[in-house]
Amino acid sequence: MAEQMRCPKCGVPMNHHAEKIDYEAALEDPAAADPALGGVLEEVFTCPGCGDTEMRRAS
Amino acid sequence: MAANRPLFIPVILGTPRKGRASENVARFVHGEVQKRQGVETELVDICELRLPTNDAGEAIKQPEFSATVMRADALVLVVPEYNHGYPGLLKHALDTNLKEYIHKAVGVCGVSAGPWGGTRVIESLLPVLRELGLVTIFWDGNFPSARQLFDADGNLLDQAYVRRIDSFLNELIWMAKVLRYGREHVALD
Repeated sequence: MAEQMRCPKCGVPMNHHAEKIDYEAALEDPAAADPALGGVLEEVFTCPGCGDTEMRRAS
Repeated sequence: MAANRPLFIPVILGTPRKGRASENVARFVHGEVQKRQGVETELVDICELRLPTNDAGEAIKQPEFSATVMRADALVLVVPEYNHGYPGLLKHALDTNLKEYIHKAVGVCGVSAGPWGGTRVIESLLPVLRELGLVTIFWDGNFPSARQLFDADGNLLDQAYVRRIDSFLNELIWMAKVLRYGREHVALD
């Protein structure tokens, strides 16, 4: 299970509310690509405390 | 805690062209947003971002603009229609961010010299906004014959636009509240 994403500003757990495929990242790092999606899956999180948004690669 | 934060809805003036009629529209809309309780705003002029043109995308992210968009719960874009399309510099500016936009509301005010009020530029901009992760509302601002809508001092001459923008902002603020709650509390399955 993926590690809980914490807000880099307030330290509280962030909410995972979106995903986006990065096709360019797959060109640079083909091994990281999801074969079904054709790109690298990025997860999007927002902090319920301060509203900050962060992205990270899905693990 | 989050529910107590005021909404932040910047108004983006989407053209650098000298003599732009859109500036009056942007100042008017910005003034109407300022009147809303519980909403903070600022006017962002894309010609002041000083973006380089020898690269594009997130590589030329401008920290202040990114911070403004990150803080935003919704955006108002004031966009003139040039040759039935949007200004290239607006696209250049929008492309400098991504995560900052995702699941945030956006409303577009189209501006034109002719009678259609930027309807074509709004339609052409929608797929761009969708791909950036923004959520469009189904009210638009339409400002046709823009040079006749304001006096020489930039004062609005037709008060019907106040009522129209009021409805536009009602929808935008509703969407901004709903999406903020969703971003912060509703997880993907």
